[in-house]
Amino acid sequence: MIQWIVLYRKEMTEMARNYKILWIPIVFILLGVMQPVSSYYMPEILDNFGGLPEGTILDMPTPTGEEVLMQVISNYGMLGVLILVLSAMGVVSAERQSGVAGMVMIKPVPYSSYILSKWAGLLTITLISLFIGYVASWYYTSLLIETVAFERIFQSVVIYSIWLVFVVTLTLFFSTIMKGNGSVAFVTIFVVFAISTVTSILGKYMTWSPAKMTEHTGQVLLSGELDSSFLLAFITTIAIIIVVLISSIQIFKQKELLE
Amino acid sequence: MELLKASDLVKRFGNTNAVKGINFHIEEGRCVSLLGPNGAGKTTTLKMLSGLLEPTSGSIDFKGEKAKDLRQFIGYLPQYPAFYNWMSGKEFLVFAGQLAKLNRKEAEKRSEELLERVGLTNAQKRKIGGYSGGMKQRLGLAQALIHRPKLLILDEPVSALDPLGRREVLDMMREIKEETTILFSTHVLHDAEEISDDILIMHAGEIAISGSLGSVMEEYRQPILQIEFESQAADWLKSIASYSFVSEVNIQGNKTSIVLKDMVNGKQILLKDIVDRNLPIRKFEISQTTLEDLFMKVVKA
Ligand SMILES: Nc1ncnc2c1ncn2[C@@H]1O[C@H](COP(=O)(O)OP(=O)(O)OP(=O)(O)O)[C@@H](O)[C@H]1O
Ligand SMILES: [Mg+2]
Repeated sequence: MIQWIVLYRKEMTEMARNYKILWIPIVFILLGVMQPVSSYYMPEILDNFGGLPEGTILDMPTPTGEEVLMQVISNYGMLGVLILVLSAMGVVSAERQSGVAGMVMIKPVPYSSYILSKWAGLLTITLISLFIGYVASWYYTSLLIETVAFERIFQSVVIYSIWLVFVVTLTLFFSTIMKGNGSVAFVTIFVVFAISTVTSILGKYMTWSPAKMTEHTGQVLLSGELDSSFLLAFITTIAIIIVVLISSIQIFKQKELLE
Repeated sequence: MELLKASDLVKRFGNTNAVKGINFHIEEGRCVSLLGPNGAGKTTTLKMLSGLLEPTSGSIDFKGEKAKDLRQFIGYLPQYPAFYNWMSGKEFLVFAGQLAKLNRKEAEKRSEELLERVGLTNAQKRKIGGYSGGMKQRLGLAQALIHRPKLLILDEPVSALDPLGRREVLDMMREIKEETTILFSTHVLHDAEEISDDILIMHAGEIAISGSLGSVMEEYRQPILQIEFESQAADWLKSIASYSFVSEVNIQGNKTSIVLKDMVNGKQILLKDIVDRNLPIRKFEISQTTLEDLFMKVVKA
């Protein structure tokens, strides 16, 4: 237990020293703020730079606050996921490659503590980034467009965070089983987008899919109501996360850690 | 007292038999060197003892009991130690100490002691990324000692160091061996001869020779005749192999070492030969085989 805390503290210190704790939230804030700002100024932007013929009457409906936030979530689903995966890809593989993972495990540290401290570090940075970015987005949306009920904001961000936790757990898993940072990122992104795509094509048959979290997030934002199929998706997602974590620990145990 | 015993230890990597069923034990308080050429299986053996590598088969006993997780009792310095380069030397030691279940205060205190001991006190606040190879090796030694292990395992602790660095680390090991049992691998025979009590010579995954340094030297020591010529004398050297008292002739350029079964008669006859044939010699010396000769013999066999 003590070792777990020591390892977790090391993860956080490392993220502070290499400024990840700063720049990942900043990216999420930028992604979150850009959407309401650009929606607000879109008519003017088009007016000034659109090259529309003189006298054209712009009739663009201003999106509702909920729609803006849904767009933000969709940005997080693309660029946010990409940033998270790229920043987390080396979490285990880089330490295995340098041999420092062996230096840690040569001490009487449970293998589960090592993996779980990594996981906790990833969750911390992911949740901090998502919450701060989303709150910033909400603030600018209410400033420029309209206020969205805080309850919906809260519910939607909690639901969406489950999807991001799923994504970083997968990154941790591939980082444990593979050595090259690049291939970890590639495979993780591939798997995440494959799940998303298959889920959106075969939506009817995949109500259990973790990728459904994105839809449920949108649903809560727009209607304030949770779809009844949420529970199934929630349970399978948590179950998959647990299974993936346990497999990561087991696989890590089998790996040769010192060259 | 027997600290550690390995029985029929085997490690296979796919088709490679890295370690082929070795047996040995380590007495408490001894300094044991594990000798062997590249690829002999030294690192593989040490990793199995330290618990970093699961043996394919065989068992390891610690203090007479079957070992489960020995990591608490073992300090290990890998052949290529790695660190978090963004940490300072002291931070890493405190970190390693806490991982080995020291509380923060103990870890700090022990780190300071060890930094002093390995001569890194002045560099303790610097980032490890800026350390030289020798400094990293000494830091590696310090992290291995942080939790006062019962057995210190060092994988080629001096191979990568310059003569000065080697001297420093060897001197530290000499100090440490007063307190802790040490098992270290090396292919620098001179170092093994200098500080170890017991030796294990490994070759191709097997232990060829083991025992105390003294008894091994005693047992395998052979009288040897070393002759240095001014020019080559290959013909004569070929012919002497037929003498019954000559057991081996090793030629290295103008130098030759001849292992004799009967030194008293042998040297007389050979010296007479040299005089009769008017061979130009520079040196004619009687000595004993060294650890290096023994090593070469094992490795070439
Ligand atoms: N992970 C591995 N996969 C496959 N083969 C391995 C692995 N590790 C070691 N080997 C093989 O096992 C044998 C012994 O290797 P080991 O590293 O133990 O030798 P060594 O005595 O430490 O050599 P050196 O003096 O070069 O460090 C070698 O033939 C090596 O190729
Ligand atoms: Mg080796």
